[in-house]
Amino acid sequence: MKAVFRRTLTMLLLLLVSSFAVFAAIRLSGGDVTAARLPASASAADRALFRQQVGLDKPIINQYFTYLRKLATGDLGNSLTNNAKLSTLATEKIRNSLILGGSSMVVIFALGIPLGMLAAMRRNSWLDTGITSISVAGMAIPNFWLALISIYVFSTLLGWLPSAGQGGIRYLILPTLVLSAEGIALTVRMTRSAMLENLGQDFVRTLRAAGVSERRIHFKHVLRSSLMPLISLAGLRIGQIAGYALVVETIFGWAGVGQALVNAVLRRDYPVVQLFSLLLVVLVTFGNLMATVGYTVANPRLRK
Amino acid sequence: MTLFRRARRNKQLVVGVILAVVIAVLGIVGPWIFGAYDKQDLLSGHKSVGTPGNFFGTDALGRDLAARATYGIRISLIVAISVTALAVVLGMGIGLVAGYVKGRVDGVISLVIDFVWGFPLILVAVLAAASIGSGLLPVILAVGLVNTVAIARVVRGEVLGLTEKDFVVAAHAGGYSTSHILLRHIIPNVIPVALVLSSYYVAVAIIAEASLSFVGLGAQPPTPSLGQMVSDGRNFLRLNHWESTIPGVLIFVMVLSVSLIGDGLRDLLDPRLRTAVERASAK
Repeated sequence: MKAVFRRTLTMLLLLLVSSFAVFAAIRLSGGDVTAARLPASASAADRALFRQQVGLDKPIINQYFTYLRKLATGDLGNSLTNNAKLSTLATEKIRNSLILGGSSMVVIFALGIPLGMLAAMRRNSWLDTGITSISVAGMAIPNFWLALISIYVFSTLLGWLPSAGQGGIRYLILPTLVLSAEGIALTVRMTRSAMLENLGQDFVRTLRAAGVSERRIHFKHVLRSSLMPLISLAGLRIGQIAGYALVVETIFGWAGVGQALVNAVLRRDYPVVQLFSLLLVVLVTFGNLMATVGYTVANPRLRK
Repeated sequence: MTLFRRARRNKQLVVGVILAVVIAVLGIVGPWIFGAYDKQDLLSGHKSVGTPGNFFGTDALGRDLAARATYGIRISLIVAISVTALAVVLGMGIGLVAGYVKGRVDGVISLVIDFVWGFPLILVAVLAAASIGSGLLPVILAVGLVNTVAIARVVRGEVLGLTEKDFVVAAHAGGYSTSHILLRHIIPNVIPVALVLSSYYVAVAIIAEASLSFVGLGAQPPTPSLGQMVSDGRNFLRLNHWESTIPGVLIFVMVLSVSLIGDGLRDLLDPRLRTAVERASAK
């Protein structure tokens, strides 16, 4: 318990460092910030004035403290592109990303675990070979290309699903499947190898000798000891999803944090880049912490 | 059985190596056979596969897809392999120091590892592109940093475990020098892990470079990159899908071959690595 507390404290400290790293990194660029807001015809004096207005003429460390002070009072700042309040902008983007990321998380485990179990229980059958091969391919296929193929097949050719945008559940299907593909493949592999490993353990032999049915051995005993470590590592999937969301949201025109971040980088909109990268880092750091804690809880042998 | 004979029986490894050789030959010889990758001919754009003179067809600007694709492979391979090689050497060094010296040194290194671990690779690359401008350099820096840390993290864990093993404790008691223990007992046991991880991280590097170039933050035109070619072709899928399909398939085959080699090596060198590697490859 004390270790968890210490780790959490360290994480909070690291997040502060991360916030400064992000802050400094995007400000070191030689590019012209004013291009985000001012027309190309703006004079040098106008540009200098704009820099002064948004405080970009001061030393980075001063800017950082101003930023922290405002952050503490709940002021997230404004976008450089259209001066919109970030707090309003962020709420909507975060909601959209949570919908997409959350459903991918559910799909990863809802599809990955049963498929992995099936492959392990029918070891070396054509079903096992099929599931394993698809999961190897699923890990190798770049998700932006998978996105293009699925858009081409399911919306351009067949016209079953919309190719981009927000709306009902129909808009959610393709981006969710693409975003979760690698996670599903990984979960299948991990479930399969964990189950096979456990099937070879002594307790399975003992259960068999005691006359417990195969079905009961598989579903009750082996599954439970295989799934604990797997689910305890769910936090690591958050990092994976958060990273790929940048690409997948951009392709599907999903108005979430990832798309907003990529657009903001292309337009050099500092406050937006800052806010959304930090959000992702907080999320991923939290996921990693959850995985470390979860894994220790699930494996009593690691507790020292 | 010798290692070589066991390797030949390992299906994944054999298929992976064959695919890798094909890709490498394409990347090395291709640009030389197919000629200039940036020669435009606006009158003969969107040619399909098998057109005489343009083996893979042409793109919207009439540039030869075979020349562009093979040059893209070359860039992708150079970036992925050199970055990973550097990351393996650095990551192993850092992991060895942290795991062997322990104490305060380990504390500081672990803190840095946890810090970088909070950033998804794609985010680091995007931030690097925001900081120093789009191109291959931010991709290289981001992949290098994240992969070094990822390898250091696993190697540190392995070394920590090894230092508690009886044979290492015995070597200490026997008065052997640190360099002897490291060279004879620790490093030989870490190399298989590093080898297996490095093939996975080559795959990660290839995907990262392609993804960033696809979004427009990676390799900048006229330098051809497979990710950027997939993106260029996306608007013409109905007209001539090969413009996207060919680079897409090539990325897929490249990643597939290194992952198969990784899986094969893992089974060959030490099946117990299975879970360790799967945990590590979670990103």
